[in-house]
Amino acid sequence: MRRAAIVLLCALVATAASVLLWSPTGYATQDREQISAPSSARHWIGTDDLGRDRSVRVAAALLLGLAGASAASALAATLAAIVGVSAAFAPKPLARALLYLCDLFLTLPWLFLLMTVRSALPLTLAPLQSAAVTFILLAVLGWPAYARVTCAGTLRIRNADWFLQARASGLHPGRVAIRHVMPHLRPLLVTQFLLCIPAFLVSEANLGTLALGISEPVPSWGAMLLSLEHASAFSGPAWVFLPIVLLIVVLLLLQLLVTEA
Amino acid sequence: MRQIVRRVALRVVWHVARMASLILLSALGTVWLMRSAPGYFSDMRETDPRYAESARAELELQREQQKTVSGMTGKLLKGWLVGDLGQSRQYDVPVTTLLRPRVRVSVQLLLDGIIAGWLAALAIALPLSARRGSTGEMLIAVPSAILLAIPTGAMAILCLMLDAGGPILVLATLVGVRDFKLVYTLLRQTWTDPCFLQARAQGIGTARMMVAHLLPGIAQHLVALATMSVVLGLSAIVPIEVIFNVPGIGQLAWSAAMNRDLPVLLAVTLLMAVGVGAMSIFGAQMATVEAA
Repeated sequence: MRRAAIVLLCALVATAASVLLWSPTGYATQDREQISAPSSARHWIGTDDLGRDRSVRVAAALLLGLAGASAASALAATLAAIVGVSAAFAPKPLARALLYLCDLFLTLPWLFLLMTVRSALPLTLAPLQSAAVTFILLAVLGWPAYARVTCAGTLRIRNADWFLQARASGLHPGRVAIRHVMPHLRPLLVTQFLLCIPAFLVSEANLGTLALGISEPVPSWGAMLLSLEHASAFSGPAWVFLPIVLLIVVLLLLQLLVTEA
Repeated sequence: MRQIVRRVALRVVWHVARMASLILLSALGTVWLMRSAPGYFSDMRETDPRYAESARAELELQREQQKTVSGMTGKLLKGWLVGDLGQSRQYDVPVTTLLRPRVRVSVQLLLDGIIAGWLAALAIALPLSARRGSTGEMLIAVPSAILLAIPTGAMAILCLMLDAGGPILVLATLVGVRDFKLVYTLLRQTWTDPCFLQARAQGIGTARMMVAHLLPGIAQHLVALATMSVVLGLSAIVPIEVIFNVPGIGQLAWSAAMNRDLPVLLAVTLLMAVGVGAMSIFGAQMATVEAA
């Protein structure tokens, strides 16, 4: 199942990349003659309200979403590893302070915290900057829960007999951490990394529906969902559902990866 | 018994003190964030020609007071202590006036959504967990995985597009699907306990076992899970209320965030933090009682 999920995800990414490469228009190019046009040879799945090619925008949103969420997830997992391992090995007061910091981030509901921080930043950022800011914010605010899990995992290792034996043999703590603790933590960190990707994709989509995510004209799941708010499922073409369907498929595949991991 | 009560009371005091400090820090963080936000000092009211010169002077005075974060925080704290949450910059009315009716709407929505979600989760999980074999589990796995993969905003927009369902349905689906998995796992584990296997072997009916033994036995776990549902619901009400145009606290928070309305945002932040804090304390106490 895991292999099938990876193959399907790769196929989706390859299809999206080829759509972007072969399409004569960019994701922001407007075709004023073809506003909300149906499927045609020029625009495979039609155009949106501004005459932009829907297939190009969906493909770009898929690639940007996956790349951004993966990068944010890697950053969050790294932060969680640093804080979690430090809290497990640090003297008690410092460990308590680090876990208190995690709790501080967890005091507010996740989406609410994101919304508050995002609103404190300029709302008129350049589109690509807004994409970077959104994903960096997701990473910076998303690590605390995972840091707690990492800390618990590291504490289990710290209390293991082999670890005490290594310390008693006089191995340097830094060497123990890099050579012995990190390899044992790898499955935990990989799982957290994989867990974060769908969580960040969902958060980006939710932020986008609140108009606090990636700004136009850069395509994103959130912005595309927001544009559907006033569309009708019965009068419009079936392609309007494509962003939602693709998002669900990607999230299902990612969930499958996490479950199998 | 007295020892247990003492231990629980001590833990409650510790959790409350810890949570109070966290809430205070999150409020200070919000003040700092909003105060540093670009354009914070530009006030919409200045563009209103109805504002007299004296009112403009008052705004100027307020701006002077808010020049430093510490001065601003001090003024806000003083206000909170006497129940004054400040004046909304966006609507120009006291924050308490804005909050009161909206809190009622959001609490009602949360209650309806969570209760409906839990009833649905229990209604499916109870009979399914009592069955031997995994056919039922596999049947429910696909729809629940699909529903879990739909973001709250997307679910709300789908409901709008299809002109079916409303905010309660979205919240109930969200809570129900997430809690179903947890409740189902808990129930499956409990059914395999030796006492239940023994009871089954003695021929006691499934319904009787559920009502008399199973549910009372896992009630504390269910309550702890329900507290998590509240936290999940608090997060979900923002997109739900914004998309369905429900005049609740989530919509107010979103509008305040978009317009940098610090007094409103701060009051909502405090409310949310208190809500999450109370739920965490409650959940932690359930664990303490169980351990004792």
